[in-house]
Amino acid sequence: MNKNGIQKHYYLMLVPGMIWIIMFSIVPMFGIVMAFENFNPGLGMFHSQWVGLENFKYLFQLNDSKSVLINTLIIAVGKMVLNLLVPLVFALLLNEIISIRYKKFVQTFVYLPHFLSWVIMATIVLGIFGYSGVINTFIQMFGGHPRLFMAEPGIFRQLIIGTDVWKEFGYNAVIFLAALTTINPSLYEAAGIDGAGRWKSTLHITLPAIATTVVLLGVLSLGNVLNAGFDQVYNLYNPIVYSTGDILDTWVYRLGLQNLQYSLATAAGLLKSVVSFVLIVISYSLSYKFADYTVF
Amino acid sequence: MIRNKTLGSRVFDIGNIILLGILVIFCFYPIWYTLCVSISNKAAANAGLVTFYPIGFSIEPYKEILGDKLFLNSFWISTQRTVIGTIFSLLITVLMAYPLSRSNREFKARNIFMWILVFCMLFNGGLIPWYLTIQRYHLINNIWALILGGGVPVFNVILVMNFFRNVPRDIEEAAAIDGAGPWRILFQIFIPVSIPVLATIALFISVYHWNEFFNGLVLMNTADKYPLTTYIQQLVVNIPTGSNLTPDQYKKLSLLSNRTLNAAKVFIAMLPMLIVYPFLQKYFVTGIMIGSVKE
Amino acid sequence: MRKKILPILLTVTLALSMMACSSNTAKVKTTDTKITGADIAFGKFEKPVDVHIGMSVDPTDKTLPAGDKAGSNQYTKYLKDNYNINIIVDWTAGSGNDYNQKVSLAIASGKLPDGLVVNDRTYMTKAASSGLLYDISSLFKQYQSAQVKLIMASTEGRALENASYNGKMVSLPNITAEADGVHEMWIRKDWLDKLKLPVPKTISDIEKTAKAFVDNKVAGKTTIGIAGPSKNTFAYCTFLNSSNNMGGFDPIFSAMGATPGYWLDNGDGTVSYGTISDTTRKSLETLAKLYKEGLIDPEMGTRDNVGDPINANQVGIFFGPWWNGGYGNGDSFKNDPKANWQAYPVYNDNGQWDTHMKTTGSSYTMISKNATPDVVKAILIMNNALVRDEAKFDVSVAIGWYPLRNVMAASNEVEYERVELLKVLKGETKPEDYNKADSMYKLMYTDATKIANVIKAPFDDLNVSNFSTANFGDFQRMYSMMIGDRPFATLPINKKIYSVTYSQTATMEQKWANLKKMEDETVLKIIVGTSPISSFDQFVKDWKAQGGDQITAEVQKLLKK
Repeated sequence: MNKNGIQKHYYLMLVPGMIWIIMFSIVPMFGIVMAFENFNPGLGMFHSQWVGLENFKYLFQLNDSKSVLINTLIIAVGKMVLNLLVPLVFALLLNEIISIRYKKFVQTFVYLPHFLSWVIMATIVLGIFGYSGVINTFIQMFGGHPRLFMAEPGIFRQLIIGTDVWKEFGYNAVIFLAALTTINPSLYEAAGIDGAGRWKSTLHITLPAIATTVVLLGVLSLGNVLNAGFDQVYNLYNPIVYSTGDILDTWVYRLGLQNLQYSLATAAGLLKSVVSFVLIVISYSLSYKFADYTVF
Repeated sequence: MIRNKTLGSRVFDIGNIILLGILVIFCFYPIWYTLCVSISNKAAANAGLVTFYPIGFSIEPYKEILGDKLFLNSFWISTQRTVIGTIFSLLITVLMAYPLSRSNREFKARNIFMWILVFCMLFNGGLIPWYLTIQRYHLINNIWALILGGGVPVFNVILVMNFFRNVPRDIEEAAAIDGAGPWRILFQIFIPVSIPVLATIALFISVYHWNEFFNGLVLMNTADKYPLTTYIQQLVVNIPTGSNLTPDQYKKLSLLSNRTLNAAKVFIAMLPMLIVYPFLQKYFVTGIMIGSVKE
Repeated sequence: MRKKILPILLTVTLALSMMACSSNTAKVKTTDTKITGADIAFGKFEKPVDVHIGMSVDPTDKTLPAGDKAGSNQYTKYLKDNYNINIIVDWTAGSGNDYNQKVSLAIASGKLPDGLVVNDRTYMTKAASSGLLYDISSLFKQYQSAQVKLIMASTEGRALENASYNGKMVSLPNITAEADGVHEMWIRKDWLDKLKLPVPKTISDIEKTAKAFVDNKVAGKTTIGIAGPSKNTFAYCTFLNSSNNMGGFDPIFSAMGATPGYWLDNGDGTVSYGTISDTTRKSLETLAKLYKEGLIDPEMGTRDNVGDPINANQVGIFFGPWWNGGYGNGDSFKNDPKANWQAYPVYNDNGQWDTHMKTTGSSYTMISKNATPDVVKAILIMNNALVRDEAKFDVSVAIGWYPLRNVMAASNEVEYERVELLKVLKGETKPEDYNKADSMYKLMYTDATKIANVIKAPFDDLNVSNFSTANFGDFQRMYSMMIGDRPFATLPINKKIYSVTYSQTATMEQKWANLKKMEDETVLKIIVGTSPISSFDQFVKDWKAQGGDQITAEVQKLLKK
């Protein structure tokens, strides 16, 4: 078969996926025009009054947008870093376990929380950190005063990041564990003969071997710099912690679906997309330039 | 692995085993907690007294669920959505991943398509235009909206694509010399060696479909079309935003705080995933690896 | 090859989506169907009329018989049999957030069902300003029943004003009892008796009483002196939500001379927003002090549900309108049949009772611009029928299943009933005396027939021990009316405070959400002590700068009208 003939089949293979993408991703994208309009549902998307950058200007005037952006960045970056480091450390620790059975046992359980939806996890988190929850039971046992964790703006972001790591660290370790199994055992044997201890062989064999994996996950997560996790925050926050807990997605949701400010919500969503896109492009070219690494 | 028997090494081993044991307890706790609440005495559960073990014992909530048609119905919808949605997404993912795993030289338009994909992953018109589009397709209140709404997670395509890239070239070339076209190469060579990554991705997709509640809420018009998580979200989390309660609404709200029944429903919703996943788990480690590591 | 396939692929898919887009068929206008019957307000259509609606449903409801649905049950059958109206339910959603979301999407897509009840005026004005609503002014005049007319009149035109946009009536207003907006103190009389304490009257009395409850651990270690708002409710009513604030602190603010959340007429041609006043600042200081002393629920602002601790009988005092005891805390009585909740006003230091008052109602039945005149008539008839027959329905199937149910009740309904029911109890009147078809007090007759089964003598000082809980629904209603409404029905109010407006001005539509959020946050944080009281001054400054002053000027213009 000639080369062009093969290419034809490649296009054919892409057809179902591209149809889906056009229908469910590209067509709705025309809705972005709403960001530049004063959207009037009666007139429709293409006949509403055009206001140019008015919505964006107003966005920047709002007190909220600044605090919301800061919250989003802190929460998202915190999650990105910890969701890379904690699973990595965990995978390394698990790798040191000798008993295969115990290893399997641990793996089976740490993956579990990932499979639960945030709707479900939120009720549990609220139960644990609630006023009569497990944590406060302990605090009181040791003579302390119970605290209202979910209503302390000072710790809400930490709680969000922490519970997310709790839910996801096992699952995020899967890829590292996978990468660890590919390391050729003879490398360790050779290192053993050279007199390297566990710490040293971890440093000099294990870590370099999975470095690519860490980079890939890190790079892919860069696009999430503005994704602080709608489902999670939506189910855990309350007005007291808006100042530290309100993120872009929840804010846009409330603008659009509770305050009926369709255009403003779309404008905010668009800004988010643009920033994410730029970040992805940067991270992609960075990893290509410095690591000669093609992500996609 | 190094197996020297120094004291430090042994202390580390023991400490490590204990530490991981604690992590296991941490991770199992949500499920245990839900189970405990669901079988506890109703008053104790509502007062938030249940922590580490059930208080009292009652399987009344579970009996009640068996007679709840709406619950059973949404369970069935979720099952359909998950099964069909997983097959659908898996197929599209594989079909996209294969051409994209070819090099620029073999498939000239590869990078264009790749960028379209990444672009679509990052840009969207927002909730309202998306809703309007689905409405134009007449898919509102149709289970296909949920199935198609799941579509092609680009991350999965990238994983499979990278896995494909690592399939040894010589097998493929040998087949090509034997006259096999791209379709045969994909289905007879690539897919069989990719079972681990496909199983892993199947798990990802099914978890997404099983847990997703927001689409169900927005796209379905009546409760008898809700998937399970939407149904549960309605019961457990849905609350009025304003302070403007009427007596009627208020009465409804006090019914909503039935923690034992809710916990039982939540527990049942967790079950299928908990049952299915150990079977797919064995593919995990061998699965995602090559997909994520390009050598 | 490549050059050809790409365009083909794109054309095919675009064509596919175009096809899907263009299949919206225009609505065919039908000619009017004749209505038969002596009174057109209750007439029957000769040919069936289809009414499409969206509906909020209760996901936990168990009252609907097996096989029945939102679109086919005893109520839709009633409408079909009596008026030849077919109800077609386009969509349903769980009451609360989910329903609001659906409404919001329906407005955004410009595709409203014929009839839709919304529970916030903002939705109605948004739909109206987008030109999605039917001008029902003239049809309403023709088709309203005598009862509806009386009830509308009982609000002195305020209901009509609320239901209108730019002078055109575009929705049916909800008219609820005035008592819903009068907030009082609910207190455990049995706890007071146990500790031999008098009923507290002023804020300092309340402080002492709450302290006594907590110090004596009346309900164990977790005793809560005063309940507070949940994560979804607020510290006080506002002009947009001017009633039914269970677990807020409205009476405390009122007793300190503050009316936060209301637009106040200063009497000199100017208006001011109640929240940014010095009296509000002082009230917040007081509340913060109570909170710090551990007298207010430490979990306030984070609970899912105001009623949880109240129903668990951990609470000694909470604030709310007449129905909060009885209807509002039913489980409290189930968990402790001796829980003797009593309602009293909170007085200021001069011994006077001031309270803010509500607007007529908060929900609206919107009627789509695309509805045919027949459909509009049908919806009006459905409303008339509900007002007339609500008391006669077999409510073993929850009344919430009545399509487009939007309550219209005389604004003094509760007070009237309370007085008359006492007469029935004392034998001064007979239930049959109230059997009048056109009365605007539509539940009076039914209640009169039931009251003797629920309350036993002596009737002058009613306590929980006077009530029978055999029929729990009846118990709740009677308890709320006879005990909950006693202060409003029998005690004089020194000052009734109305807001200059109960709806949004033009600038508010854009900026209010932000200001409100700022306000809610500041208030909650000051009360729970995470912000010092000085943050209030910064809030006032920010509030004015970010649109508050502009909005105040707009409201001031309303005053001059």
